[in-house]
Amino acid sequence: MLSKEGADFTKVLKRYDIETQVSLSPEEMAKKLLPSDEVFRKVAEEVLYMRFKTVGPVVMDALKQRNPLDVINQGLVAGMEAVAKLYAEHVYYLPEIMMAAKTMEIGIAIAEKQVPGGRESKGTVVMHAAEGDPHDIGKNIAAVMVRSSGYDVVDMGRDVPITDFIAKVEEVKPMFASGTALMTTTMSAFPTEAKILKEKGIEIPLMGCGGAVNREFANSYDLGIYSEKAPQTPLIAEKIRQGYTWKQVRDEWDSIVGGQ
Amino acid sequence: MAVSRYTKLAYDCADDMVFGFAKSPVSYGFGLKIGAGYVIPEINYAPRPGTEKEPEKLRREYVDYITKDILDRAVTVGFPNVQLETEWVSQMNQAKLSAPVVAGQQEMCEKYHEEYGLNCGTRQTIPDQREADHGLRPGMDSLHAYPEKLFECADIACENGCNNLSIESVGGKEFADFAVTNGDIVAFLFGVGYLGSVDMTWLWQQLVDIAKKNHCVAGGDTNCSGANVSMFMAGGMMDQDVQRTFSAVTRAIASARTLCAWECGAVGPDKDCGYEGPIVKSIAGKPTTQEGKNCQCAHCDLQGNLIAQCCDLWSNESVEYHPEFGGTSVQCWFGSIGYEASLMNTAIQMKQEKVLRDLYMYSDRYRGPEAYILAYDHAYEIGKAIAENGNDLYLRSKAAGMKAVEILLKGYESKELGLTTKQLETLQDINKKLSALPDDTDKFVEWAVKEYKDVPNFSMKNYGF
Repeated sequence: MLSKEGADFTKVLKRYDIETQVSLSPEEMAKKLLPSDEVFRKVAEEVLYMRFKTVGPVVMDALKQRNPLDVINQGLVAGMEAVAKLYAEHVYYLPEIMMAAKTMEIGIAIAEKQVPGGRESKGTVVMHAAEGDPHDIGKNIAAVMVRSSGYDVVDMGRDVPITDFIAKVEEVKPMFASGTALMTTTMSAFPTEAKILKEKGIEIPLMGCGGAVNREFANSYDLGIYSEKAPQTPLIAEKIRQGYTWKQVRDEWDSIVGGQ
Repeated sequence: MAVSRYTKLAYDCADDMVFGFAKSPVSYGFGLKIGAGYVIPEINYAPRPGTEKEPEKLRREYVDYITKDILDRAVTVGFPNVQLETEWVSQMNQAKLSAPVVAGQQEMCEKYHEEYGLNCGTRQTIPDQREADHGLRPGMDSLHAYPEKLFECADIACENGCNNLSIESVGGKEFADFAVTNGDIVAFLFGVGYLGSVDMTWLWQQLVDIAKKNHCVAGGDTNCSGANVSMFMAGGMMDQDVQRTFSAVTRAIASARTLCAWECGAVGPDKDCGYEGPIVKSIAGKPTTQEGKNCQCAHCDLQGNLIAQCCDLWSNESVEYHPEFGGTSVQCWFGSIGYEASLMNTAIQMKQEKVLRDLYMYSDRYRGPEAYILAYDHAYEIGKAIAENGNDLYLRSKAAGMKAVEILLKGYESKELGLTTKQLETLQDINKKLSALPDDTDKFVEWAVKEYKDVPNFSMKNYGF
């Protein structure tokens, strides 16, 4: 092997990951993010620190002191919002998101039972991986993030036939639907699906995502909108909930995914 | 085909590993000799969306446009060798779509070989569409019959003249997805290292038989569905999904799985997207295909130069067929890999191959944890750990993971490799978890089956248990 003596590798590459890393710990950041009410704070901490084995008893205890909807929204959901902020700040990463979401869902399932008539969701979203496409890890991650943001997700899985997808949309009447594709030959399902939905008079946004899909493709057919990364999907969902059409989402896409 | 596990390394020392030379070169196609003292560019492509809808359209796309464009460009620029890789789109599991493509490409290759003396041939990479929730073995998937279709595809490819039969098999994928998203290295070890190896062993014995029956070469596999998912989710310097120390260890574990194809009688070269190539080459001495800086059309990785260090074929990963200023996309990217191969071959001819290898390697050695463990000296060490435990699928996967951890920790402690706090914490956690595992395979499997019973779509029946 050649000797590297005298070689200065900082002239070859720069480790931006090391140079820009955030020095704050989750605990330090949490001080600013968690609710001040002690009961809610305790619940939120369960989510923030991904304590899925103990979240049950903590939620049960909180339910004795606060009403169930508040335990959900001001405790569990607030904890998840703090997780999302830590994720955005590169303090938390994907595994933490997944475990925190699991923790929150355990807590919600317990608290929900005490909400008369059940908890109201922000809306329903149908998600699927395109017909012929076996890759669904991106869809699964996005589903967790959308569900964590308070929506009901109908996850149809992968390799979903176009006819099955259309039937499901007709059945559950979602706020919007999304499809992922990792292969260029499977993403062609999306314009076909959009065309059928349009013919049936269903004018919901159809989000195209996945490695093969780009913004230009997703915007090339009516109903089509784009999400590049899973964390963008809840941001777009929020705008659709506020009444944005697929055309408005397209027009304001940059600012929406920029969090504005 | 009998299975023969590797228990020793093919190379006496890491320094013997260099691009263009494999201990066991392979010849096929129209004059191709892989690993026989020079590097060959391997160009991979995808048809334009929509062409898969009609057999004639697809044949024309692959044969009259893509194949012809590539072979023409080889002659134009003066490249003596080229391998084409056709990664089948899912629709090609129907013979009416795939058979004319395979036969047409062979015919075109033969024509250019005869007319110009161009050495060429094709790798046909058949699709593995099996889904764990429906069943990985024949007779289990009553909805799609994907396991049966996989073997039908192998028959179609070989019967129509393919030179190198390859696949990106998906055994263990349900665990890989779970492990990567949850940061669970033990789940990866069990799913990819153990179950994935069981699946590959079962699968490749049959693929080798099919290839042999048809006088084709059985090439190899990759853990694209596991270690590459991990690596690409770890992404670049500023991405925030998976820690790159985690992805580096998954790569080491995956190499114990990729090796199984060769243990079942496949002879190489293996698949380009298997970045574990340097590790498996150190063990088996069979030719390996790699991709890096000249595959930016498809992948952005952090070892673009380093990964060329021991390759025998140099690939662009894949590019969709479309026009560019310099020709069609396949011509442009073929030019890119072809000239890189020319540089490597010039180095060989000038007896400077080890110098160029080391320059490639040093250029990326410290760019990140995955590059660090794949540097040929470290890859060799991981290969050794696998071979020392070669007869046990669990123990060798675990040994590969542990060795990767050891290399990374040593690199960090010696200040040779920088790590973020989070990367280091993840690495220490992996170390703790792998160190706590039993040395008894039966005990581990018994424990893991219970521990991971809730992993979506997990069933031991998929692995023949």
